[in-house]
Amino acid sequence: MNPGDTLPELTVEVSPTFIVSTAIATRDFQDVHHDRDRAVQRGSKDIFLNILATTGLVQRYVTGWAGERAVVRRIAIRLGVPCYAYETLTFSGTVTEVADSACVIEVTGRNSLGDHVTGTVVIEVQS
Amino acid sequence: MNITEAAARIAEAGDGSPRRGRDPVNLPMIRNWLEALGDTNPRYEAGSLAPPAMVQVWTMHGLHPASTAGDPLSAMSVVLDEAGFTSVVATNSEQAYHRELRLGEQVEVRSRQRDAAGPKRTALGEGWFVTTESTWYVGTEAVATMLFRILKYRPPGPPEPLPSPPAAPPAAPPVDVLRPVVSRDTAFFWDGTAAGELRIQRCGECGALRHPPGPACPECGALKPEYVVAAGTGEVYSYVVHHHPPVPGRALPFVVALVELTEGVRMVGEILGAREFGVGEVSIGAPVRVEFVRVDGELTLPAWRLADPEGER
Amino acid sequence: MISGKAVISGQAAIAGIGATEFSKDSGRSELRLAVEAVRAALDDAGIAPSEVDGLVTFSMDTNSEIAVAREIGAGELSFFSHVGYGGGAACATVQQAAMAVATGMAGVVVCYRALNERSGHRFGQVSRAAASMPTSSGVDNGWTYPMGLGTPAATVAMAARRYQHVYGASSEDFGQVAVADRRHAATNPNAWFYQRPITLAEHQASRWIAEPLRLLDCCQESDGAVALVVTSAERASGLRQPPAVIRAAAQGSGSDQFVMTSYYRDGLTGLPEMGVVGRQLWRQSGFAPADVRTAVLYDHFTPYVLMQLEELGFCPRGEARHFIAGGAIQLGGRLPLNTHGGQLGEAYIHGMNGIAEAVRQVRGSSVNQVPGDGPVLVTAGTGVPTSGLILSEVR
Repeated sequence: MNPGDTLPELTVEVSPTFIVSTAIATRDFQDVHHDRDRAVQRGSKDIFLNILATTGLVQRYVTGWAGERAVVRRIAIRLGVPCYAYETLTFSGTVTEVADSACVIEVTGRNSLGDHVTGTVVIEVQS
Repeated sequence: MNITEAAARIAEAGDGSPRRGRDPVNLPMIRNWLEALGDTNPRYEAGSLAPPAMVQVWTMHGLHPASTAGDPLSAMSVVLDEAGFTSVVATNSEQAYHRELRLGEQVEVRSRQRDAAGPKRTALGEGWFVTTESTWYVGTEAVATMLFRILKYRPPGPPEPLPSPPAAPPAAPPVDVLRPVVSRDTAFFWDGTAAGELRIQRCGECGALRHPPGPACPECGALKPEYVVAAGTGEVYSYVVHHHPPVPGRALPFVVALVELTEGVRMVGEILGAREFGVGEVSIGAPVRVEFVRVDGELTLPAWRLADPEGER
Repeated sequence: MISGKAVISGQAAIAGIGATEFSKDSGRSELRLAVEAVRAALDDAGIAPSEVDGLVTFSMDTNSEIAVAREIGAGELSFFSHVGYGGGAACATVQQAAMAVATGMAGVVVCYRALNERSGHRFGQVSRAAASMPTSSGVDNGWTYPMGLGTPAATVAMAARRYQHVYGASSEDFGQVAVADRRHAATNPNAWFYQRPITLAEHQASRWIAEPLRLLDCCQESDGAVALVVTSAERASGLRQPPAVIRAAAQGSGSDQFVMTSYYRDGLTGLPEMGVVGRQLWRQSGFAPADVRTAVLYDHFTPYVLMQLEELGFCPRGEARHFIAGGAIQLGGRLPLNTHGGQLGEAYIHGMNGIAEAVRQVRGSSVNQVPGDGPVLVTAGTGVPTSGLILSEVR
């Protein structure tokens, strides 16, 4: 792991089932994550991914690359455009810092509307 | 109290009461979570560990929260709901994990409000950003912290009817407001609100106006009800600030007024946005203008907003 | 049209009163509460259950006359009635019983009301059932419930606000009623708030329910039952207790009347239906407000007590706040009200416990007895079509 390393891209098909099952798995019962009619009524185009799921996806992306010996120390994300049902979310990442066993990765998740998530993940790789 | 004052009060209250996770850290929830997210990292099951990004999950309020009393974000959400900023999106989450959680550990979380900024124009509509800080504990050991920011915003206008989706759509569950019993004598009124008209019964014989409507004219006895469309203006004849008990479809407190219309009849309706600028603004004689609150395809309620003679509030 | 010199005056009397304990959780069925109260009232009168041939209750009671008749072993009934409009019917049960007795339709009529209003169905909550009845009342409720106005307190608050605006009454003025009720309850061992008086400051410190009403402006919620035995004045004279003779009994509905939401007809500062009742009571009995020794005025919410004083002619319109000032409605005052503690202090038995107290005042057996021999006035639920009685001893 060296600064400037890029992570292989990961694409996630964000189906309604994906949105609903991740919302329920994160115990987030806000209607905008499972009920399209209510989501529309609240001004959204469709149901959309919840932030806990996005955080989980960022973790999955980084640890999927770093391996099972990586321990996640920090995930800081900022949400941009919503990730509605039927979007494809593509993650890309770059290592920006490496110090001792710690490694900082900048992550972006994009869909057809733009950047859904940008963030920083800090991991520690156990020897 | 306005939003800024309410925010300051909630922030001053500091940490809310600690909230225990419903269940200890457990394998079934972890496996559900991994499966839903498509995460195949074997680390967690092999080590009896929870994925760090799950920390917030353990203390989510759930589908039917027992109580959100003492939770600053819930308190602030109520304030903003009342002010009409009813929709929410999370915008930032910064989580730091001091260590991984192990199966069987019981976590609890303490949260405090850091700030509430607004109103701000955003792509979603006007809204407020509310930032909270949370710390998760196992016993007295802090195991994770989070800075969490949401945008509470006012959804723009009533939505267009849903286009027919390719697959059969699920029936929309009824919105939880009390619905009027509509009779043949009163259907014109509710058809009117759905069409954006405030209709007053007018006797087809003697012309007397009347609300609430009925089949006959109490003035002349004629059974010839017709209607006129009201100008949609009036003034507060009396009003109530409702604090208790809960009312379906309403966040407490809210203001309901008896409005005397310019045409002379009276009508009961909620005063919208009253919390936004303080219920003290509502007074007997205050001019109001009608608005139509579309609940769903079957019901549109007439409601009122204080009309500012100067135009901009 | 208001009836003229009434044939009913003095024909019938309340010969027995009975009640269960007043609680927050009776632990038994409403029918059982009804049976216990009816039996107690018959015992009080010294009349056997088998002699009962008439039963009257009112619309929100869940116990049919025939069920109560079966349980007490009443046998055959020749008169039974279920009066409408909830608490507004309390005194009307006695009116109907008196009419039945006076016209020979029945000899012994028992009026009853039993409810688990605290542990069971609570009237103070928003009633989805009331909002969805496929009746004219359901349609009426469609003009308020969907708009968020759906509790008794809120419906009263709307009129109370207007009354304050027009006449300058304050929350403290409403509080005087609560203070008087609780003072009287404090010396009534049967009252829920026995030995728990309140001060005006405590009233002012109580939380808002529906502004301008505070918690202590609202009656309590209770489980319990009350029953009253009505028979002819002649028969009552020979029974165990001194009779409370029914000098006047009336029902009243105003013009353009609604249930709790008569918002469309006038200045919203009075209770015209109680005016209808009052005019009949004075005419039937020949009494005037100044004759009244003590009154039990229905007090589910304090502002309507002020309006009743005005509608019944105890003071001019808008002046009730001056009339009640300085302890005038407390024991020892000009017109002690609700000497049992009212529904704020004793219990909320939908007005029937107030009639029992009026009977005790006539008998001279109230724990807060008001001296004198003037008649006792009692009213039923306000904001709805209502009723009232004037009782006095045998003269």
